[in-house]
Order: sequence, then C-alpha cells, then structure tokens
Amino acid sequence: MTEPENTTTIQAELRALDEALESGTVTSSDAVERELQELALALRAEGPEPSPDFDAELRARVQDGFPRERRLPRPSRPRLPQLRLPPLPLLGAVASVLVAIAVVVSLNVGSEDGPAGVQNAVREAPAAPSGAAGKLATPERGTASRPAPLDASPSPSIAPAPPTGGRGFAPGERERRIERSASLTLAAPGDRLDRVADGIVRLTDRYDGFVLRSSLSTGDEGTTGGDFELRVPAERLQPAIAELSRLADVRARTQSGDDVTPQFVSAQERLQGARAERRSLLRRLERAPNDAAAESIRRRLDLNAGEIRGLRGQVRDLRTRTDYAKVTVTLQAKDGNGGASSPDPGNGLGGAVDDALGSLSDSVEIAIRLLGVILPLGLLTGGLALGARSVRRRRREAALG
Amino acid sequence: MELGALRSRGVSEAIAEAVPTLARTSESESFASLYERTFPRVYAYVASVLRDRAAAEDVTSQAFERAYRRRRTYRPGRGSREAWLFGIARNAALDELRRRKRRGVLEGDPEDLTAPSPADYAELAVRRETVRAALETLEDRERELVTLKFMGGLSNAEIARVLGLSESNAGTKLHRTITKLREACHDRA
Repeated sequence: MTEPENTTTIQAELRALDEALESGTVTSSDAVERELQELALALRAEGPEPSPDFDAELRARVQDGFPRERRLPRPSRPRLPQLRLPPLPLLGAVASVLVAIAVVVSLNVGSEDGPAGVQNAVREAPAAPSGAAGKLATPERGTASRPAPLDASPSPSIAPAPPTGGRGFAPGERERRIERSASLTLAAPGDRLDRVADGIVRLTDRYDGFVLRSSLSTGDEGTTGGDFELRVPAERLQPAIAELSRLADVRARTQSGDDVTPQFVSAQERLQGARAERRSLLRRLERAPNDAAAESIRRRLDLNAGEIRGLRGQVRDLRTRTDYAKVTVTLQAKDGNGGASSPDPGNGLGGAVDDALGSLSDSVEIAIRLLGVILPLGLLTGGLALGARSVRRRRREAALG
Repeated sequence: MELGALRSRGVSEAIAEAVPTLARTSESESFASLYERTFPRVYAYVASVLRDRAAAEDVTSQAFERAYRRRRTYRPGRGSREAWLFGIARNAALDELRRRKRRGVLEGDPEDLTAPSPADYAELAVRRETVRAALETLEDRERELVTLKFMGGLSNAEIARVLGLSESNAGTKLHRTITKLREACHDRA
C-alpha cells in the first residue's frame, strides 16, 4: 500500500469512527470500518459512570460557585498546608522591575543631572615637590583661614578613587586630603550678565567663600562676558555648584579632585621631625660645655627654625587648598555679542520647547536604561518559567509511564 | 425635564447595579452548562486514567473547581472549552497518578468500574469482556488516547489540543491505537 493510499484509508477509517460516535450506530458498509465502528461504540459503552450522589454533590457546588470552605475532605490523605505563592513569571517581573529601579537610581546617584559636557574626575596627584604648595593665593577674608572639619568627606559625585597601589598616595591614611576644583561656563543673555555676575558674588559670600579674582568685559553694548575665580569651602562645593548652575544656562561643567594626602602627610611628618630636632638641640644647648659648642648649636637652631617655618607654611597651604575648592566661572553672553536686544530663550515659548525636549531626552534615556535591565532579566525569567513549565509537564507525562 | 432626568438616572443606576450581577449570573450559567455537557465524560476519562472510583471523584471535583476558578483565563482562540476543561482534568489526574506512584499505592489490578448488569445479554457481556481485556494490552498513553476519544467524546482537534500534538499526529496515533485494539480483540476472540 502506498503512502497516499494509506493516508486515505486512515482518514476514511477515522471518519467512520466519528460517524459511529455521532450517530450511535454502525453505518459503514466496509467490513473493516464496520468492525472499527462496533469497537468505537463498545469502547464508549465502557466509560465509567459517576454515581448519582457524586453528581448531585458536585452539581450543587457548581451552582454555589465552589465556596472555598466546602472543599471535599480527604481525611485518609492528610496534606501539609500549601504556601500559595504568586506564579513564577509574576515574581520574575516584579524582581526585574525592582532591580531595574535600583540600577537606574544608582546610575542617577552616580551622575550629575547637568547638561552634556559635565565631567567629574578625581585623580591622584603625583608626588609633588613640597614647593608646589605655595601657589595658592592667600584668602582675602578672614573666613579663608578657618579650618574645615577634618571629616569633610567628598560629595558622592566626586568621591576619591580607592588606592590602587602602595606607593605615593599614603595608603594608610584614612582622612584623605583632596584638592578640589570645578570649572563652570555659564551663558546668559547680554542684558542679564551683570545680574548673573552679582549673583555669583552674592552666592560666594553666602557659602562663606571668597572671590579671588574677577573680571567683566564690557563693550559698546554693555557687558559681554566675565571670568571669576572663587574659593568655596570644599564640603559645600556641590550645593554651591548646583546653585551657580541655576543662575544661567550651563554650557560646560568640569569637576576634578587631586589627592594631596601624601604631600600633606609628608610635610606633617617632616614638621614633627624638625620640632623633635629643635627640642633635642635645646637640650644640648643647656648642656653645652663651652661657648663655641653653644654657638654651633645656636646656628643649627636658627637653621632648624627656618625649616620649621617653611614646613608649617606647607602644611597650612595644603590645608587651605584642601579646605577650599577652586571654582572657575566663565560667563558668556548667550547670543555671542552681548546685545541687550537678544531674546531670552530661557523664558517663553523657546525655553518651554527646550525644556520639553530636554525632558523627552531624559525620559528616553531612563527608558533605555530600564530596557537594558528589564529585557535580559525578562528573557531570563521567561526562559526559567518555560523551563519550569516544561519540567512540570515532563514530570506529569512521566506518570503515564 | 427634571422628572425625565431622574427617570433616566434611575434606569441607568439600576442597569449599572444589575450589570455585574447579570455578568456573574451569565458566567455561572455558562459554567453550569459546561458542567452539564461534560461532567459524565470528564469523570469517565479521569476514572479510566486513575482506575479508582474514589480518587476519580476527588480529581473530577478538583478539575471542575480549578476550571471554575480559572474560567476567566480561557481563551477561545486556543481551543474549545471542552478541550480546555479536559486539559485541566488531565493535569489533575496525572498529578494524582504521580502522587500515587510516589506513595507506591498504584493498584495492581484495575478496579471493575462497570460490571455488566444482569440484564446484559451474554453475547454483549462477552464482547465487553473482550474489549476490556484488549484495553489492558494498551500502554498508558494509548489508553489515554482511547479514553479521550471514546469516553471523553473529544474530536481529534480537541485531543491534539489536550495532548499538545498536531491534529494530524493525534489522528495518526488514534488510528494506530484503535487498529492495535482491534487486533487485540481478534486475538482474544
């Protein structure tokens, strides 16, 4: 028998079976088909019938909508109470969303919400010569010499990188001395530059900082730009930057931190050594046997005093450099020529459109980050769910041997 | 005008109150009609798989209860309601079968579920005995196929849906099984 004939026969015989089941009688004239139809009817008659009591009981439960308290008791097969857990895919989805939120939050915490061009950096300062400490200008106001709290920790966004080696960065030192600096380029319409400049000075005062240097460029059409060099207490650098950023549109922002702990530690140790030497020389002076020896010790004491002064100065300079952050602000006219007639895109329709585009861009960014987390987790969860389903199905099928 | 508005509002509120009740009643009736259509067949299928009346009653009851609780998960595009219900019943029966196998209480000899009544004719009784004996020669999976078809009254498409096969595959397997059964009957006769 060829394959098509075989298929035809199978289909005909299956049809005959269906006809017999439908009509309840043997209908075919073909001997084999008749036999199959008889068998089908006999098999149907073999079906076990439920007891009327069971039918009545179950029917009543169906009509009552299966009340939960009326579960059929099975005293002979006590079961442990089952913990009703949500389905695996649901658990997976919830876990994915939670992980995604955690990742996005951590990403946002790790980055500033400023415009493009914002940079943060903390780098180890090279083992600088001790003379480098003297570059910092002396503060103009009394507040500048106020020491910062010893535990003034860096803000999260510019946290110092952990030590990576054992040389040149004082690995045992727990209180790091970080010299921070930030650079900000602000842009404002020409007619608002003066106001922004005033705002910068007022803000610096409010943060107990000082303006080290300032310059405003003026032209025929008024103020065209300016530069400011500020010193702000290091522990208040972040809020100060945030507030400065609100004074005008931020075109660029850079932050950096130099770890000068090695220099600081070194200068302190050398200062302690010089002081110890001074005490020793003073003791030797008291016990000097003659004038010549006393004179020699005095000369050494003079040299020692100079060394102590220098080292004290180094320590003070380093402390000042790390207690105060250097902030450089460059002020630019928004339209490039400082014209007072230029429109202010920060307000009105243009500003609204810019804000809307910015918000849209942020939303897309967050959505992409979320997708980057949810997609693989979702795929993993889906795969696990499918796997679990397949295993469950296989176990069930195994019951049939 | 106000009276009309009041009347209108009253009717709307009445309808709004009645709709959930109606929907619930309709659902309940729909499930009740499914029960009426399928109960003996589901029981017959489960009893044939488990070969234990008491367990079959428990499992049938469980299957209907599960189906009732999950009735909103039924999707018409994925097969008939009968196939969906038999799928639930099958899972419940196989779970029970697995539990019984784990406990090692699987019966040695199948229970005589339908003893021939005294009124049966002798020839019919002999034939039924032959068919029963032939059924015993089938493997569990073949027996399940026969049960779904002839006791469950499912179409080949529905059987395919329940067993996760293609319709043609289900038809081929069914034909092979019924042919084997027919030959077994010949051997017994």
